[in-house]
Amino acid sequence: MELIVKHVDGDVRVKIERRGDEYRLQIGDQSFVILSAETTSGVRSLLIDGGQYEVAVRSVGKDRYEVTTSAGVDTVQVQDVLTHLAEETHELGGSGTQVVEAYMPGRVVSVLVEEGSEVALGQGVVVLEAMKMENEIQAERAGVVTRVHVEPGQAVEAGDPLFDLV
Amino acid sequence: MTVQRQAFEKVLIANRGEIAVRILRALRELDKRGAVVYSDADRTALPVLLADEAYRIGPGPSIESYLRAEAIVELATRIGADAIHPGYGFLAENAGFAELCADAGIKFIGPPPAAMAAMGSKIESRRLMLAAGVPVVPGGDEALESLEAAATFAQELGYPVMLKASAGGGGKGMRKVRQPGELPAAYRAVRSEAAASFADDTVYLEKLVERPRHVEIQILADEHGKVVSLGERECSLQRRHQKVVEEAPSPAVDRDLRRRMGEAAVRVAGAVGYTNAGTVEFLLDSKGNFFFLEMNTRLQVEHPVTELVTGVDLVRAQIAIAEGEPLGSELENIEPRGHAIEVRLYAEDPYRDFAPSPGRIERLRLPEGPGVRNDCGVYEGDEVTILYDPLLAKLIVWGANRAQAMDRLGRALSELRIDGIRTTAPLFQRLLADEDFRHGRLDNGMLDRKMAAGELAPSLTAQRRELSAIGAVLEHLDQHGRQTAVSRSHGQRDRWREAGRREALRGRRWN
Repeated sequence: MELIVKHVDGDVRVKIERRGDEYRLQIGDQSFVILSAETTSGVRSLLIDGGQYEVAVRSVGKDRYEVTTSAGVDTVQVQDVLTHLAEETHELGGSGTQVVEAYMPGRVVSVLVEEGSEVALGQGVVVLEAMKMENEIQAERAGVVTRVHVEPGQAVEAGDPLFDLV
Repeated sequence: MTVQRQAFEKVLIANRGEIAVRILRALRELDKRGAVVYSDADRTALPVLLADEAYRIGPGPSIESYLRAEAIVELATRIGADAIHPGYGFLAENAGFAELCADAGIKFIGPPPAAMAAMGSKIESRRLMLAAGVPVVPGGDEALESLEAAATFAQELGYPVMLKASAGGGGKGMRKVRQPGELPAAYRAVRSEAAASFADDTVYLEKLVERPRHVEIQILADEHGKVVSLGERECSLQRRHQKVVEEAPSPAVDRDLRRRMGEAAVRVAGAVGYTNAGTVEFLLDSKGNFFFLEMNTRLQVEHPVTELVTGVDLVRAQIAIAEGEPLGSELENIEPRGHAIEVRLYAEDPYRDFAPSPGRIERLRLPEGPGVRNDCGVYEGDEVTILYDPLLAKLIVWGANRAQAMDRLGRALSELRIDGIRTTAPLFQRLLADEDFRHGRLDNGMLDRKMAAGELAPSLTAQRRELSAIGAVLEHLDQHGRQTAVSRSHGQRDRWREAGRREALRGRRWN
């Protein structure tokens, strides 16, 4: 079986074979023999070439996993090869509109520009408040704010669209 | 002055989270009843579960719950509480609240309202310190009523300047302004933050001290006129003026400087007739000059590092002082023993500009072992909301010296697991590898600079990438496996159950 694992900074191909509770994985040109045992739900103790690694994995959406190790937390996506190819083809035809989303849940304090305004790189567009701190959401590039999706006082969730930048 | 001595039987805690837990612990040790208030969002929060008594105070938003001063004092009267402990934040530095308590005959565990009022206004406290001969940072002693007034004064003082809310504290309501162009946004932000957080939007300006350290002195003052210094804490590691790591003693303070800063802090407390526990914050420049910054008229978040190096339980001391007990002579001339470091575990993603990370704590494993203390306000399965301050827990370590304390911190962090939400924990692992931190070369802007420069970015090593890939792939296979299991026939499931029953019977025979 072959899967694609998408990291934030690139994809790797993983070949897997299972023999009982032993897995053989090939990642790039590296081979691993892994013994896996679940401790509590979603938490595994992995024995890899004598080394012990505790790994917690949580599903965070379709085929997306949040993996916690002693080194930190990574979000990765696991896809079969066909799905991966289909997505890559789709991504080639993108449009020039950037939908800027809230990266945290909170409340909109103010909207600093009007729809149709030109904004410079780094200019504040929306002010969000969460956990008593105000954060200015800025334009990540120069352009025109074609649409503002929120108004002051409104509560937003992470991932909600704030404004469109063209 | 006659001091009323009264042993408390019941104390109401007007707070939540880890600090409510901390105060409950002291009350339990002293065999006093601990009562807490809770908002609808906190009905099953840890302090409620650990308290002897718990009372609903309102809906989730703090303005409708933990900030309801009158309702809290009324409640204290109704339930027969002798005293109120305000913790930190919320009503802790609200002189009006302390007055309400006094009027109702409830002891407020903190300083007298007049001392709080004097220190609550930063503008006023600056004037007082000048009069008491305590050095302050050059700046204005007038409120700035408009952006124009601020611009004029900043020009006079000379950039860079620090714009501050007079009622501010805890890192909220202040902005560094390097040049005139940055002033309008800073002015708007500080005033609106101050209005929202402190219900007072008065702002003023100070000259910016370049690359200072934040060093603060813990004092205790009894109601018989005695004030002692318990030494310093180094709190220079901050992000956007919010402390993240604290330690005691400071790597930059020797015995002589500790004595001089301690004496200044005792003078500060004396100047306002202070009682109970308080902290005098100073900026320490690279030449060893120190300037009064502000006095925090409450228990500090970082109080445990002082507790670990002095052996003094500060919350118990607060209660004893409020009961009218005099400070003992053993508290005079305390020198720190060993070294303590605290890291603050916030529900924030340090690698997404510290974005709040609310959600369910899917797994929580706190470190244990030699020299480790956890002041934690949450439990596994708990929900973290965006309604309150994101501080979840504090991990504090003690070592015979700074090097051993750092080793222990690294070891403790390697044991810690908080899954389900992002926390600041990974940042501390990276910080421990930083040469400047290891050598104690700290200043207030260091963390922000290093974060901006990507120096503390997570190291995505080949091993970490492989491990993440392996973990995700195994979980992925498991989930697909589970789908197959669901489609199994009933007959097969019954056979599984039968096998389980046989297993259980066999188990019984072994016993």
